[in-house]
Formats: sequence, C-alpha cells, structure tokens
Amino acid sequence: MSRVSSETLRRSLDRARKGVGSSGAGRSPGKSGSRRRGKVAWTLVLFALPSVVLLVLLNAYPVIYAALQSLRNGDLIDPGAFVGLANYATVLQSPDFWRAAGFTLIFTVVGVFGSWAIGLALALLLRPRTPGGGIFKVLLLLPWVVPIVVSAMSWNWLVATPQSPLPMLTKALGLGDTLFLADPTLAQITVCVFKVWISFPFMMMMMSSALASVDVNVYEASRVDGASAWQTFRHITLPMIARSTFISWILMTIFCVNDFPTVFLLTGGGPLQSTQTLVVLAYSTVFQNFQTGPGVAIAFLMTLVLVVISVFLYRRIRKVDVA
Amino acid sequence: MSALAETTGGRIRWVRFSALTLIAAVVLVPLAAVVLLSLQPAFGSSSQGFTFENYVSVFSQTAIGTWLGNSFLVSLVTVVVAIVVAAPAGYVLSRGRGRLVSGYSLGLFVIQSLPVITSVIPLFILFAGLGLVDSLGGIIILYVGGTLSVATWMMAAYFDSIPVTLEEAAWMDGCSVFTGFIRIVLRNSLPGILSTAIFSFLLSWNDYLVAVIFLRSEQNYTLPIGLQTFFQQNQTDWGPVMTVAVVMMVPPILIFALLNRYFSVGGIGGSLAGR
Repeated sequence: MSRVSSETLRRSLDRARKGVGSSGAGRSPGKSGSRRRGKVAWTLVLFALPSVVLLVLLNAYPVIYAALQSLRNGDLIDPGAFVGLANYATVLQSPDFWRAAGFTLIFTVVGVFGSWAIGLALALLLRPRTPGGGIFKVLLLLPWVVPIVVSAMSWNWLVATPQSPLPMLTKALGLGDTLFLADPTLAQITVCVFKVWISFPFMMMMMSSALASVDVNVYEASRVDGASAWQTFRHITLPMIARSTFISWILMTIFCVNDFPTVFLLTGGGPLQSTQTLVVLAYSTVFQNFQTGPGVAIAFLMTLVLVVISVFLYRRIRKVDVA
Repeated sequence: MSALAETTGGRIRWVRFSALTLIAAVVLVPLAAVVLLSLQPAFGSSSQGFTFENYVSVFSQTAIGTWLGNSFLVSLVTVVVAIVVAAPAGYVLSRGRGRLVSGYSLGLFVIQSLPVITSVIPLFILFAGLGLVDSLGGIIILYVGGTLSVATWMMAAYFDSIPVTLEEAAWMDGCSVFTGFIRIVLRNSLPGILSTAIFSFLLSWNDYLVAVIFLRSEQNYTLPIGLQTFFQQNQTDWGPVMTVAVVMMVPPILIFALLNRYFSVGGIGGSLAGR
C-alpha cells in the first residue's frame, strides 16, 4: 500500500511541477502509431471547436469592433468619423481617468490579497474535522453565493444613512458621526471591505480544493521530521498550493478590475467620484454621457494593463516549482 | 493514543469551533438583516412581531413570479449549454499538449480578462440587428460566453485530478478518445461538473450588468432588474424590498446547501492510493 501511495505522490508532485497546458497532465493519448495520434488530435480539435466558435463570436468580434470604435467620435447609434488616437489622448489627459485608475489599483490589491488571506485562513481552519464543519462551509460561502444586488442593498441599509445600524453603533461607541458612504476615504474603505466580504468565499473554495489535493502522507513525514506548524505551512503547504494560488490571484485580479456592480450598486462611484473605478467610469462615459469613443478607450487601456498582468502571472504558474 | 493527547485534541477542536462560529456570525450580519427586515410588519400594519405580510403583498402586487420564472429559465439553460461546451474544451486543456493548446489556454485567459463593458456595446448593436435585444435567448447567449472561460478552467482543473492511467487502460481495451472521455472521465467528474454548474448558475442568476443593458420590457425582467426597479420605487419601505431580496437569494443558497457535500469528495487519486 505504501509503495502505491508514494508512487501517486511522486507523480502528483511531478505534475504540479510541470503545470498543465503544454506539458499536460499525463502522457499524450496517442502513443501507438502516428495514425492513431492524428485521430486523437482531430478529436481534441472537435472537442475545443464549439468553445472556440463561441469565444470568437462573443468575445473576439466585439473587442475588434470596439477597438475600431475607440478610434472614432461616434455615439451608440452613429459610428462617427475617424479621429485616430484623439480619444486616447483625451482620456490620458483627464484627471478623472487617473483618479479612477488609482482607486481601481487599491480596490484590486485589497480585493485580491484581502480575500486570499481570509479565504486561505478559513480553508486551513475548516480542513480538519470540526463539529459542524459542513454547515460552516455553506454559511461562509453565502456572501459569494448571494446575488450582488441583494448584498449591496443590505450593506446600503447597514451603513448608508446616519440612522443606519453601523453609524448608530459607532456613535454609541463615542466615535462620533461616521458617514460611511458620504466621506470619500471612508467610502473607499467601505467599498473595499464590501469587495473582500463578497470575494473571500471564492478564495476559500479555491484554497480548500487545493489543500484537499495535497497528499496527507507529506504531513506525516514532516511531523516525523519534527517540523513546526509554521515550517510545515511555509515549506510544504504553500509550495504545494502555489499553482492554485496563482490561478486564484489571476482570476480575482480579473474579477476585481472588471467588477461593475460592487461599486455601482453601493456608491455609484461617489462621493465626489472617490470610489469610481475604471469600469464605472467607462460605463458612465458611454451610457450617461454618450461618448462611446472615450468610454471604449478607457475600457481598452484597462484591458491592456489587465492582459499584461494576466500573462505575467500566467507565465509564473508554469515556473512554479515544488521546491 | 494517550488520554492527555485526546483532551488537547478536543480543546483545539473546541477553540476552532468557537472561532468559526464567531466569524460566521459577523460575516452573516448583512444577510440576517435582509431576512429579518422581510419579516417585519408593513407600514401602517397592526400586526406585531414577525409576519409574512410582506410575502403575501409582494406576490400579489408585483410581477415577481414572472421575474422568478425568467431567472430560472435563463440560468438553467445557461448551465446546461455551458457544461456541454466547457467539458470537452476542459479535457483538451487538461490532456492535450503542444503549441496550439498553450495558445488556446492563453487565449482563454486573455478573453476572460476583457471587461464585459467593452464587448457589450458592439454586441448590443449586433443583437439589435438579430432581434436578440430584450429577449431571454439573447442574454442566455451572453451568459454562456461570459461563463465559458472559467467553466473550461474549472473542468480542466478537475480532470487534472483524474489519473490518465484510467483512460489509458480504456484505450488499451479499444476505446476511442471520445468514448473514454464520456465513460471514464466524465463519469468520474460529477463534483467537477457540479461545481462548474454552480459557478455558471451563480453568474447568470446574479448578473446585473448584462441584464440592465439588454432587458427592456418588464415581462422579460430577471430578478436583479426586477428587484432594483422595485427598490427604486420603494426606497423607504424596506420590508417589501427585502422580501423580494429573500426570494432572490433563496435558490442559490438552497443549491449550495444541497450540493455542498459533493465538494468534499476529493479526486479519485486518493482512492487509488488507498488500494
């Protein structure tokens, strides 16, 4: 039995080291002869085809269209005239854009690492058998499960006016009137906390499943070797969940930067545009000021940064080593 | 194991339990508030304590039944289509190799990082030409597109946990890749399929941006838009608003409560190792 499990462990370490994608999870299907391999390749192409067609139609086409639109001065109905990079120049010179870019950065960094730290901590807390562990798992997933329209509404109720419960509480504690959504800095903090509250369950799930795939025999070995809990976490757990961690960071970065409803439904970007992210700015530029060109240009600049970050992190995944 | 070690283990377990209880209580305050407010008596009502008045009035006076039906239809169709498309695509990511697969994999990332706001405008114009604006079919297509990248990745991640040796054995017996995929891989992927289904369901059930731009007439509203419209009309009257909110959050919560145990089922690698 122990021979088989150590064999499985070795293979999974090997897989984790290689990563998936080009190096693959296992041996290639087509081993016996090139005709067989060609047939396998065709099957895989057919497997991917529906997804590729949908992605091209629903994602690639609109982006190309939007790219062209960002070079014109039209609106939603009229494509307008070609203006070159004028929209980008306008956007890059606008203080609104830079302010929104700044807040998007804060919102994303807090959102990604805040939710990851809490999610991982809870996943570790939930891993051993605990009485009622299953129920806690469900309860702690709820902020992510509940529709954002609902949670934004309830947070609104909780903090929006001076008569709301939380401001009343801070007043009773002698902290004076705290206007969570009226003071620019407090509103920024509130939005970030709200985002972490929504997102940590996703991280908890990602980290739980990553932890579940770590072979328990490794822990037994490290305990026998006399490693402390922190050493075990730092040198065994973290490296073994590194790949999932990077994937979760990438996904959460994308979720945060592209997040529209969290901000829009809670503050609408206010007060004084302090919580305006780039997406909300792009939305209001297109759908409230009807300037399609600059609006799409904002979205494009944002996308560019995001793609660079994604590709960078994506390449990091491949380099992850079980050191 | 000695009695001492057992007591220590018990104490640690108890500390962990208390910590979880405290954390869950704090985290769930906003959601508990929604439920409690929905059970308060309405304005000018004579009843005391908890009551279901708001539920009666909301179901008799708003189009909530229609919104609920629309949301269910849209979400369920999205889930089925997304799985059917994402499962084979995920298999390609998990087992395939070479330049093409790497490119495809990178392409998924890039596409996933594109903001919805960029593609919404051109799609709105395109869909207007095809008569798909203000139609449930239109937003289903958009939700499938929106969920596809993550769904594919989730399926691939689950397939990774299935040892390729199982398929190899089937190929030895003369199975084709397709049959092996259906009979061996998919059959052992219920937890992966379920979590992908839940992800797609949540995305379509909870979406606000696409629905607010594409849905125009009230008979086509899904719940988020219905709720938001209702909220704007009754800002001061929290009871009925929170009632609609409760109706909207119950289905996803139920699904999670019921399907949660599938998440605890580890990859089948563990069962292989134990033999």
